[in-house]
Amino acid sequence: MSKKPNLLVLLDILCLVLLPAVVVLIVFFTPVEAVMGPVQKVFYFHMSAAWVGMLSFIFAAVAGGAYLVSRRIKWDWLSMSAIEVGMVFAVIAILSGMIWARPIWNTWWVWDPRLTTTAIMVLIYFAYFILRAGLTTPEAQARLGAVYAILAVVTVPLTFFSIRLFRTIHPVVIATGAGQGSAFNMTPRMLTALIASLLVFTILLADLIWHRFRLAQLQTDQDQEVH
Amino acid sequence: MKPTVGYLQVIWQILRKEVLIEWRGRQGVPVMLVFALMIVFLFNFALQLSPDLQAGLAAGLLWVSLAFASTLGLNRSINLERENNALDGLLMAPVDRSAIFFGKALGNFIFTFLVGLFLLPIFSLFYSQNMLQLPLLLVLLLGLGAYTSLGTLLSALSIQARTRDILLPVLLYPLALPVLIAAVEASQGVLSGQTLGAVSHWIYLLLAGFLIFTASGLLFFETILEE
Repeated sequence: MSKKPNLLVLLDILCLVLLPAVVVLIVFFTPVEAVMGPVQKVFYFHMSAAWVGMLSFIFAAVAGGAYLVSRRIKWDWLSMSAIEVGMVFAVIAILSGMIWARPIWNTWWVWDPRLTTTAIMVLIYFAYFILRAGLTTPEAQARLGAVYAILAVVTVPLTFFSIRLFRTIHPVVIATGAGQGSAFNMTPRMLTALIASLLVFTILLADLIWHRFRLAQLQTDQDQEVH
Repeated sequence: MKPTVGYLQVIWQILRKEVLIEWRGRQGVPVMLVFALMIVFLFNFALQLSPDLQAGLAAGLLWVSLAFASTLGLNRSINLERENNALDGLLMAPVDRSAIFFGKALGNFIFTFLVGLFLLPIFSLFYSQNMLQLPLLLVLLLGLGAYTSLGTLLSALSIQARTRDILLPVLLYPLALPVLIAAVEASQGVLSGQTLGAVSHWIYLLLAGFLIFTASGLLFFETILEE
């Protein structure tokens, strides 16, 4: 059994320290939004989770592509780990969004394009695991999983396109052009907390993917010892 | 290995085989058509549609019934290749495998498009509006082209799993959703009297879907059917 790498230990500690720090930052440091009240604070983790989920799925497709080129099983472990962890974050993004939507939109769920596409994205990656479960050899799982991960990532930019193509009520946080009235203005403190939260979540993502990767590695080692 | 016959000739031969099987058995198009009609009736009762509501939903119902029905055809088309190991025979042929993809995709497209052509006059009767319009045919052409292209690719993926028959819809529907949304919106626009220019962004989205999924077939079909 391989020893836990030092860098991974460092990442673990970093997450353990920074995650509570960000919570403190969000609770005590950021101002309470004038219209929405304290519930707006869910936004920092909501956007971080959504961002990290997207990042994870893109990373999974890249790792899948690397597998198809190199045919080294480690790339498949990485791709699969990224999708599994990305799923968790995508679900967190949806659930935290619902918590925010209940008082603000007065409903848990609206059939807004951005919400719907995110939910569809979760379904797409859920199907990834159904596909893998149906395949019998690790080689087939890796090969077809990689193809599917690449096909699936086409829908991630579509989530972004959808907000422009459809009429949407979802707030546009990062305004790209003038005249986007629904973008709410963040104070410098809010922006600081958001950036901190995004950074910490990205570190957490790397940490979790690495752990999941190691699990796949250890599992394979174990299987080889048994056989 | 150098191909012994031309690329287009391979596509043509595969397509010819598909059409011949369909013509002799007549088990694809009629089944899809009946299934599509059943879905229309099912929706009519499930949603308790009033006549004025129905007209606005015609485009949506058309695409939902086509999307469901075509999975029958897609599954059948690939299952025929599994019978008597016909697929192994195909793969042993010294030809470019992407040509096999194009042949099969073209076959699937023609059959599904045929179902669509049968459905249009029937829908025109049911929903008392003329749906046999040239712009709508273009939307049908592009939408089904993109849909069956992706469907053919995913059907090759799903037959390798133990769960093959139930896997295809789970993989196909969420991935095809952008295409279906665009197709519904474009059809609805056309049916409500808008010109093609007014719904051009949906047409472009359909075109993009068609190009992406066809390119994926060209790129990945070989990888999917390896061994």
